[in-house]
This record gives sequence, C-alpha cells and structure tokens, in this order.
Amino acid sequence: MISRVADHCFWLGRYLERVESASRVLGVTRNLALDAGLNPRHVWLPVIIVSGEEKRFHARFGSAASSDGERVQDYLTWDLENPCSIESSLAAARDNARSIREVVSLEAWEALNALYLWMASERARTEWSDDRHSFYRRIRVAGQSLQGIARGTMLHDDVLHFIFLGVLLERAGQTARILDVHHHAFKSIGAHDTIETALWLALLRACSGFEPFMKLHRGRVSPDSVARFLVFEPLFPRSVRFSLRAAAARLERIRPPSEPDLPGRESQDRLRALAFWVADQQKDFEPASLHELLTRVVDETSEIAGVIGRELLGHTQPLAPQAQAQ
Amino acid sequence: MPTSPLFDGYTTLPGTWDELFTDRGAPRPAFRKAVDLLGARTSSAFSACQALAERALLNQGVTFSVYSDQRGTEKIFPFCLVPRIISAEDWAHIERGLVQRVTALERFLDDVYGEQAIFKDGAVPADLVLASKNWFPKLRGVRPPGGVRIHIAGIDLVRGPDGVFRVLEDNLRTPSGVSYVLENRIISKRVLPECVDAAQVRPVDLYPSRLAEALRSVSPVDPGEANAMVLTPGPYNSAYFEHSFLARTMGLELVQSQDLFVDQDEVYCRTTRGPRRVHVLYRRTDETFLDPEVFRPESLLGVPGIMRAWAKGNVALANAPGNGVADDKAVYPFVPDMVRYYLGEEPLLEQLPTWVCAREDDRKFVLENLSGLVVKAVDEAGGYGMLMGPQASAAEIAEFRERVKAEPRKYIAQRRLELSTCPTWVPTKGRAEARRVDLRPYVLNGRNGPWVLPGGLTRVALVDGSYVVNSSQGGGSKDTWVLAEEAA
Repeated sequence: MISRVADHCFWLGRYLERVESASRVLGVTRNLALDAGLNPRHVWLPVIIVSGEEKRFHARFGSAASSDGERVQDYLTWDLENPCSIESSLAAARDNARSIREVVSLEAWEALNALYLWMASERARTEWSDDRHSFYRRIRVAGQSLQGIARGTMLHDDVLHFIFLGVLLERAGQTARILDVHHHAFKSIGAHDTIETALWLALLRACSGFEPFMKLHRGRVSPDSVARFLVFEPLFPRSVRFSLRAAAARLERIRPPSEPDLPGRESQDRLRALAFWVADQQKDFEPASLHELLTRVVDETSEIAGVIGRELLGHTQPLAPQAQAQ
Repeated sequence: MPTSPLFDGYTTLPGTWDELFTDRGAPRPAFRKAVDLLGARTSSAFSACQALAERALLNQGVTFSVYSDQRGTEKIFPFCLVPRIISAEDWAHIERGLVQRVTALERFLDDVYGEQAIFKDGAVPADLVLASKNWFPKLRGVRPPGGVRIHIAGIDLVRGPDGVFRVLEDNLRTPSGVSYVLENRIISKRVLPECVDAAQVRPVDLYPSRLAEALRSVSPVDPGEANAMVLTPGPYNSAYFEHSFLARTMGLELVQSQDLFVDQDEVYCRTTRGPRRVHVLYRRTDETFLDPEVFRPESLLGVPGIMRAWAKGNVALANAPGNGVADDKAVYPFVPDMVRYYLGEEPLLEQLPTWVCAREDDRKFVLENLSGLVVKAVDEAGGYGMLMGPQASAAEIAEFRERVKAEPRKYIAQRRLELSTCPTWVPTKGRAEARRVDLRPYVLNGRNGPWVLPGGLTRVALVDGSYVVNSSQGGGSKDTWVLAEEAA
C-alpha cells in the first residue's frame, strides 16, 4: 500500500488507542479519588506523569495544580494546547482518517466522525458537567466500538494491519507507563492495606484488567501479582507481553518473513526481539527490577515506531508523537 | 411553523419557467404523482425531513473545506430536499445533444493538438483559439493513451422562459460535483422513499463503476491488469471529499503527487512494498501543477517527468492536459460550428448568443451595453470574475469597462437569462419558494464512446432574487430526478 496512506493508518490507530486509554484512566481515577480518602495529589499527579505532560502542566498552572482533580481532568480532556488531551487526540485521529477516507470503511468513518462531532458539541459539555462518569464511559465505549467496527467492516489487509500495529504498539507503551508510574506512586504513599488494595484494583481497572485478573487470581491481590499480570499475562489482551506479541504478528502480516527483500527488516527484528525479551523476563522476575524493565519497553517501543516510520511509512527521519500531533 | 401542505400558496415568477409547476400553479402533468406526494406533507413535516437530511450529510462528512479557514473547517454543501425533476422525453433530447457535443469537442481537441485542419478550412478562427491562456503549444503532437481526451465532462445547462435547455458552459478539465449527485440521491431515498418510488426515478449509483471502466479502458496495458489511481491535491482542497468519495466507490487508491515518481518515463507509486507501476491517473489536480518540468519550474508541487511519461503513452491522464483550450468561454461560441464541421450535423443543443470582446464589433457593442449584459472572464469559474450588468452599480460597470478595454481577449458577454426556477425550501419562512436553478449533467467517455449519467447536479441560488448558483456564493444543491420512460 502507499506509504503515506500506511502512515495515516498507523497514526489513526495510535490516536484511537490514546483516546480510549485516556478516557479509561481519567474515569477510573475519578472514581478512586472519590473512594479512598486519599490526598488528591497522590491520585492525580501520576495521571499527569503518565500522559508525559508533567512539565508543561506545572509550568502553566503551577505545581499545586496536580492536587486539583478538576484542573487535571480539564487539561487532559479538553485542552487543545495539550497534544495528549482527549479532544486533541480525537481531532488527530479524525484528521488522519479524513486523509485516507477511501481506505477506512464508511461505517468506521461515520462512527469516528460522530464521536468527533459529539465531542465538539454542547451536548458533550453538558454531559461533562452533569454526569462525568457517563461522559468518560461514552468516549471509552465509542473508542472500543470503533476498533470493533474497523475489524468487522474492513478488509483484513495491510490497511487494517497498520491501524492495529499502531493500536498495539501504543497499548504496549500505555500499559507500561501506567504501571510504572502508579507502581512507584503507590509504594511511596505507604498506605495501610485496605487502601493499598483499593489502589491496585484501580490500577487494574485503568487497564481494563480487573475482571480478567480476578478470574485468574481468585481475588488474591498483591502488588507483585498485579505487576506480573499487567506485564506478562499471555492471555490478557492489554498486557505488555500480549500487546507486543500481537503487534509483531501484525508486522509479520505486513512483511511476511518469507519475503526478505521487502522493506521493514529492522522494524521486524527489533519488535520481535523486544517481545521475546519481555516474555523471557518472567522466569526470574524481581519486583525491584520492574521500573528498569518498563523503561526499556517504553523507550524501545518508541524507537521501533521511529524505525517503522523510516522503513515503511516514508519518513525521512523518525517523527516524534508531538510532531505528528501538530 | 405553518401546518398547511408544502406547496400551498406556491407562486411561480412571472416570465420564468418553473421546473415543477405551470404558470397556473398546477404541477406539470409528467410530475403530478411525485409532486402530489411531496405536497401532501405539511410544512412542519417537511421541515423535520429537511433537518434529518442535513444531519445525515454532516454525520457522513459530506462536506467541502472552506479555504479562508486555516484549520480547514468543513461545511455541508447546502442541500434542498425538494427535488428537481426532468421528464424522460426532455432527458432523451439532452442525452443525445450531450453525446453529440462531447464527440465534437473531442474531435476539436485532437485537431487543435494535431493538424489544425479546422483553422485551415476557416470554420473556427485560429487567432482567437490559440490566444487562449489554456492552449499549450508544447503538447501539440501528443496522442493520449487510448485516444481519449475528455474522459469526464460536466456540461452546464440552463433553461429559459421558453422551457428550452441551452448550454451555458463546458467543463472539460476537472469538473466536480458528481459526489453530491450520488449523496443527494442516498438522502432522498432515505427521507422521501415513497416519492422516489412513485416517481420512477432512474438510478445514478452506477456512476463510479462506469467511471472506473472508462478509466481502465484507456490504460496502456490490458485493462484487467491496469493500476488506476485517483490523484488529489490533498485533504485541504475544497473538493477533497469528492476525490476520496470517488476513490472509495471505485475501489481505487487515492494518491497525492508526493506519492508518485517517474523513472524511465514510467510512473510509479511509493508503497510499503516498494515502487508500483501506475497506468491510469484520474487527476483532480490543476494541470499547471501536474509537472514542474513542463508548467511551473518554481513549483514544488507535482510529479517531475509525468508529462514525458504521458507523451510516451506510458500513463493515461484523465482528463488529458490541454483541454482548457476547448472550454475557454471565448471558444464556446464556436462549438456549434465544430459540430457542423466535424460531424456534419446540426447541433441538437442550443446555446446562448455570446459577444466575444476580442472581436472589435462585439467589443463595441458590449462596452455600449454593459448595464444590460452579463460579462464573464473566459477562464474563471465558481462565479468569480463576473459582472451582472442589470444588478451592478455604476462603479462596478465603470471598473469592468476598463478591464474589458485592457484585456479584451479575457472577456465575453451574454444577455442575462431568466434562469428557470424550482420550488425550494426556505427555512426562515417555513415554506417553499421559487429559486433559480441550473443543471450540470456528467458525460463519461472511454474507448467505447460517450455515456451520459441519467441525472446531474442541480445547483440552486438559495438567496431570493439571486441568479448565482455557485456554492462559493450562496448556492446549494438539489437531487435531480430523471424519470424513466412510462412502461408501455
């Protein structure tokens, strides 16, 4: 397929995943802030850090602002100067889709356009002020539906593979970042058991992992088991391992190993290597090395995205997410 | 909101043909069934339908980009749900006339870029034609792949008080608007199903497959093997929706010029699997931005070398570069002569008497009668560069007088035609009123000759009293229903 079109597909996937992930994290965190009787800063600061917006946020609103849940939610939801806000990501997803409308199915386009138009409407503002829970839920569900509609209405060819390559790489990075930041933050709170358990459950929910985790662990929650689950669980579709393996599989559909002359060798080698490496870490996993492991995942997925851009998407040099967001 | 029937109190404009109603306020007999069904709705019921239609267009993203807005804001092309209807008999005449006209124009272009026999025989004046800004001497001698130059034509028709359809202008470069024809029909079928059904409307949704067939038919390789693509300037172009719509409905890929390159006089596309040969391009880019090697050396846009590839017959470009010399408004007055010269037939479609300012006698008449004429620039579209004499101020007329004197070749003049009207929904008044319309039918032309889409884009001047139907100046569109022959 045309490299420029593949580029739009890849970024469409990444932005869609960001919209879904951000709405889930914000919805869950709101809930947690209501529940646990925690210092608001302990609840909201990690969310800002996960988004990668800590510096800019504090520069604009002062360091005390991360205790202000409303401010954080507003910034991560509506702020168009924040390239990671839900509205920015949604606009970027739609811009990418609009540039390649002929390859996205009509049903997928309409669903995305409807979400975009709703987000820009008064109705969205009203729902935001009247029923925040339903607001975030609606965005999350619309994001999930979109991925389902794409799968169910489009040819399973390179277009879809590139979209989901974007989705899955983004997801691997998101899960790694969410786990890394919260793991660190929760440990430093030093709360008593009940609250700590509430925190770990919230973390699972932020990754849609609450029910799957409970099914596998029969209700026994510990920091370790949650971390292992989110990193290694081969059956859980948002674990780092699962996402990387699925991304590597998409890339193999795009560039079958049987055709070694096609562009994309380095992307493929590095993505596969990273997926294997993560799976390998499970045996002798030491909780103390979690941060190191996750950092490597975050850095390497971002580099792999750059290599994919160079080898397959026609970039002359790797594009940083911020550059694409403009 | 009135709850009386939709067409209650509808009045036609004196001295003007109305598409749906006679002067006495009765539906035209051929349209009685459809008009009665439509008119059975109350104004408030119709208003709800109209709102539903507009929402559907917005949600489907059937929009055009507004150039003045740098964020690329999109608007829906205003749409009026009351259809324009054309009888089977009228259409049969239009169809024959369009096929004849496009055939003659095709022959003319071949001739102008070939032997120029028509000039030698004195049927059309060479100096006037070759003074066109869109005449490209460099292209003389090139035979386009497949032998076709006008793959897609949009011929604008208007209808005077006598009910006769006349050609207003030819669009032989990159005529747009056909996506609205197809989308408008989808909306009509959804919102007014019983009317569409009762009226026996001929379908338009076969257009994309006919277009794809025409494009493949001119491929330099076997049509079954041909890789045809749609070339767009990109998402910020005002007609981007249409480019993507056509690519999608034809199942072709949509490319931009940076996706293409030329190697050994063949065109290739950059793909995730390396370069891929391109055989046919339906280009929706302006021809002067096609190839910086030929047209604008300073331009960063375009595909260097693509014109060489075309001249060698390695890629078909639709429409062929250079067609602008035939749709120049100063050449238009001679199209009937072309029909007679090339086909030995009388033209089936009439057109408007036109004064060509490049000719001294015509210019003198135009300058003396500016306030009674419509003056148009020969190479502008979209209703720009135009003087509506009867409605213009003294200052505007004085300005045009100077313009015509300075660049006479650039202007032509016609009498203002009382464009026909069609009942049109006026939301602020909650009722239908007469508004002026034109009609752009589309003609496709492949190796097997011309084919006319049974339908077309009806544009409507939404502003009361306006004669300007262009979307850039307060115009909207209507679905155009061409009725099937009554089954015997």
